[in-house]
Amino acid sequence: MPDKYAGRVRVESEGDIVTVRRAVRDAAKQVGFGVTDLTRIVTAASELTRNIYLYAGSGEVRWRELNAGRAPGIELVFEDQGPGIPDLELALEEGYTTSGGLGLGLPGARRLMDEMEIETEVGQGTTVTVRKWRR
Amino acid sequence: MTTDSISVVKVRDVLMVTVPAAPDDATVSDLQEQVLHAMADYEAKGLVLDISAVEILDSFFARTVAETTQMVGLMGGETVIAGMRPSVAITATQLGLTLGKARTALDVERALDLLGGL
Repeated sequence: MPDKYAGRVRVESEGDIVTVRRAVRDAAKQVGFGVTDLTRIVTAASELTRNIYLYAGSGEVRWRELNAGRAPGIELVFEDQGPGIPDLELALEEGYTTSGGLGLGLPGARRLMDEMEIETEVGQGTTVTVRKWRR
Repeated sequence: MTTDSISVVKVRDVLMVTVPAAPDDATVSDLQEQVLHAMADYEAKGLVLDISAVEILDSFFARTVAETTQMVGLMGGETVIAGMRPSVAITATQLGLTLGKARTALDVERALDLLGGL
């Protein structure tokens, strides 16, 4: 991996959620985020990684530092080959869940980060990309 | 991956639980069961959950805390969450988390005051 602040973690068990949290915290710290933004980024990562584990069973989390033009930032990608999200609008509604959880993962992570993009296809999988810029 | 252990300590009538900095889901689930058994075993009237070391409070953790509070309530006890860090409070609010019926305190000392003083 040429970029110092890039990395990836395979998500296969519930314990990998903690691994992702630790790795993302380290990376975001290197990019220079303060403690509140660090907490936001790691919390969003925790929610989105748990979604991979809950809905798809396995997948991958990748991250990299962003420094193209604007302030430095971090990009996190959560990718799985799970069932996909049939109704994305509904999934982004607060309180909607099909796993018995609180239904805060996607809408909450969107509020904690600056940008979020979701690509999903039923039966193919889901990729959630989030970014946060340093202020 | 090591699982942080959680110890439940009884001080007078109150159970004190210090949550580790980065608990995984299994640790959080264990906590719930340990606390409920300890409530019965020690005939405690209340529970103080010290989360001052906790750096991340995500929706799973929040749901377990809210559930535990409700269960402790059914057993006749009261729960106080103590020591939430500023960064965690900001993030939890933005995420949309609530802790159910749990009361909150700035630190453990104030939590014990809330539970009737010692």
